[in-house]
Amino acid sequence: MFIDKSMTRKVITVHPETSILEARDIMIDRRIRHIPVVDEDNTLLGIVTDRDLRTALPSPLLMDPETNQLRERIARLKIRDIMTKDVVTISPTGTLEDALLLMQKMRVGAFPVVDRQKKLIGIISTRDLLRAFINVLGLEEPGTLLGILAEDKLGQMKRIVDAISEEKVSFGSILVARHWEEGKRAVFPYLLTNNVAPIKKKLEMLGFELLNPMEWYIDQLPKAKDK
Amino acid sequence: MRKTGFLYDERFLLHSTGPNHPESPERLLAALRGLQEAGLLPHLIPIKTKPAPLKWIEAVHAPKHIMRFEEACMLELGEYEHSDNIICKETYDVALLAVGGVLEAVRMLMQGEIDNAFCAIRPPGHHAEMAKALGFCYFNNVAIAARNLQREWGVGKVAIVDFDVHHGNGTQHIFEYDPTVLFYSIHEHPTFCFPGTGREFERGYDEGLGFTVNSPVLPGQGDQEYKECIERDMLPALESFKPEVILVSAGFDAHKDDDMADIYLSTDCFSWIMQTIMDAADAYAGGRVISVLEGGYCLERLPELIANHVRILLGL
Repeated sequence: MFIDKSMTRKVITVHPETSILEARDIMIDRRIRHIPVVDEDNTLLGIVTDRDLRTALPSPLLMDPETNQLRERIARLKIRDIMTKDVVTISPTGTLEDALLLMQKMRVGAFPVVDRQKKLIGIISTRDLLRAFINVLGLEEPGTLLGILAEDKLGQMKRIVDAISEEKVSFGSILVARHWEEGKRAVFPYLLTNNVAPIKKKLEMLGFELLNPMEWYIDQLPKAKDK
Repeated sequence: MRKTGFLYDERFLLHSTGPNHPESPERLLAALRGLQEAGLLPHLIPIKTKPAPLKWIEAVHAPKHIMRFEEACMLELGEYEHSDNIICKETYDVALLAVGGVLEAVRMLMQGEIDNAFCAIRPPGHHAEMAKALGFCYFNNVAIAARNLQREWGVGKVAIVDFDVHHGNGTQHIFEYDPTVLFYSIHEHPTFCFPGTGREFERGYDEGLGFTVNSPVLPGQGDQEYKECIERDMLPALESFKPEVILVSAGFDAHKDDDMADIYLSTDCFSWIMQTIMDAADAYAGGRVISVLEGGYCLERLPELIANHVRILLGL
């Protein structure tokens, strides 16, 4: 779960003296939204985002093609004029969980990954995290998701896992919705099989309730307090 | 009445999946019983099978998959690539026979000996990928038939309609770059059902963009939702594509009594679906349809479902 396993290593960077028009073209061509700014030694100096660029540039709709004056002034603008110097970074030994929580807290879309000498060694963005979680959930492996209601007490998960393992079926992932109803949890094993009917029967025989798929949910907003 | 070919061979029963496996030889016996009890067998033109030439298997599948599958059967490894895929010594030969029979159906269709056909075969095929067996499927029977139609018989455009409750991932992946094969699949939504593909936004790539059409249906739905999807998604796709032949991946596991998934179709809805496909085939494809069995595991319902299906092919 460490950042250096999931980060993008080939980072596209710019220098402080790069013109902002060039940076804009890079973002469009490479379909990225964050470019770390580094010096000749690859030490991180700042970051520039597509919002920084959009804010710095006038609307193309208002640009008069006849007057090159504005265009020339824009062309002289450098990254150092608009970059964010106070960059939130993350260490390669940070974890994906760190990155997720930090993104939520800081409301940013990417963190440069730097070593102890502040040298840039990678970048981790929402895109990397999405890919990581698609992998974690096994979404690209063929399988079947089940929804099982279980008592919120010790040993229930073991019974579920044992029952499924006895059928020689392997797990892609298991998600748990912790706040289902009072004293209950919903367990969602993603099973790498086409053949779930016997497993469903077995779980029901063991006293588990299979949830109606139309009532499944994993993400839940905080419940409004009853008045 | 139309000249309907019927493919069945006792050797299809030799692919043994052991006790408690849903994809059992009893499925074919149930299909056969259904046709017998409905008195349809005398109306059908038998299709004889022999092992498919390897070159046709290789038209779709990677040689290493074919070799490893043959080897796994020869060595009686018990399963191939996944514990869902139970094999026995005969499985490889049976799989070749199944494809061979479908290719014979194609020949008879193209030489005018039959108007359409139903192929009661196993193992099924629509989950089989180019280089991988999956979900009880080893060779992709309909995909191989589509390639054979194009390369042996000079057919330009082939449509494959897949109404098995599971998405036909193998068929989709084989043709997703290909604008000459339209793939339409209606199935339970992939978040809730194997194999986890067949989302609405999967529409093909590059030149093949738009020639893959998926209708994922939410769990608990039934006839009405299926009819709406087929009218909204399948019919316009077939109308603009104008296939010369329609292949059907006929799976009967969306039936309400089939416990493989959570879709609740009535027996009548399967007839409606097949009649709708036949009408489209009459409109664009000169009535040329080859229907190939995929899933369908409720042994109590299969006889009637298959009899109805074949009755529609016969035009009775």
